[in-house]
Amino acid sequence: MRIVIAGGKHQADFLIKMFKAEKHQLTVINKDEQFSDYISTENDIPVFQSDPSKAYALSDADIDGSDIVIALSDKDTENYVICKLAKKLFHVKKCVCIVSNPKNVHIFKTLGIDSVISSTYLLGQTVKTEINIERWFKTLSIEDDKIVMTEIEVEKDFAIVNKKLMDIKFPKNINISCVFRDPDVIIPNGQTLIKSEDKLILISKPQEQDEIINFIRKKK
Amino acid sequence: MKKHNVIVIGSGRLGANIATSMSEKGENVIIIDADHDSFRKLNDSFSGYQIVGDATDTAILENASIKETKMVVITTDNDNTNIFIAHLCFYLYDVPMIIVRLTDNDKGVLLENTTIKPIYPFKLSIKAFIELTEGMLS
Repeated sequence: MRIVIAGGKHQADFLIKMFKAEKHQLTVINKDEQFSDYISTENDIPVFQSDPSKAYALSDADIDGSDIVIALSDKDTENYVICKLAKKLFHVKKCVCIVSNPKNVHIFKTLGIDSVISSTYLLGQTVKTEINIERWFKTLSIEDDKIVMTEIEVEKDFAIVNKKLMDIKFPKNINISCVFRDPDVIIPNGQTLIKSEDKLILISKPQEQDEIINFIRKKK
Repeated sequence: MKKHNVIVIGSGRLGANIATSMSEKGENVIIIDADHDSFRKLNDSFSGYQIVGDATDTAILENASIKETKMVVITTDNDNTNIFIAHLCFYLYDVPMIIVRLTDNDKGVLLENTTIKPIYPFKLSIKAFIELTEGMLS
């Protein structure tokens, strides 16, 4: 993919290394002279030392038709303008930016920025999810996060309650390895009936975990 | 709170002068600037409200009754800030009249398909230059 990294310091450095390792085609635009020099000595990629919120800078860097522009400046409004110009003038497919004011996550999205990231907002979301997770499921990662084991407690209003496993239309790649029904441990088969307060142990890939949890937790 | 008719954002020379003259004409004016000292540029005849704060924050705009305003004039010294605030006024608050000062003409493309009206000091200077030199150059 063609990725443009506009502005930023540590985050930019980190992302450049990461994307380079994944063999993406990178372009860097950064106002800071020292940082631009550092990036071009460390990496064999095009680096343009100029203000990425200027149309001519984006034009010089030849970003037309790029897949993603990532705006990492510490000024929210600068990132906003970078993303807007990239879309409007240079047909960039997707724009991602960071914001320091968490309120801007929602506002930027309303104003048409594809993806907006605020560390404070994420922190808040993570804490919120952690609190929720405590209540209804536990996760264990195996093999360096390549497999996750999830424990979910079945609540009485879930759609899967009182259904046989064979009659439930599960998403692909779901594997219910075990059902705890106190005090029993059941190794399930198609005939196994799911009951309220069962604890299900699921094995899945991490990227499919959300989908599976959402499916199990679907209400009647 | 009394209904306010005009909000001026950025109390630089242009903003402060516009705010003062609008106020002299009897408009209810609110002027917003992040720096309290900037209000020194306002003339004594200015009888509107001053708000110290960052106008890219919607809480500040709402505090200035943006939802009831008929006109917003945006004149901070940063084009990116000006564009962002102009977009907030247009897309979020449906302000009937929005005027924005832009130093960089290229950024005008971001105002397409909106009713936001730009002021370009660069274009005005060029125009003045042409008028001043009219007939003098062959």
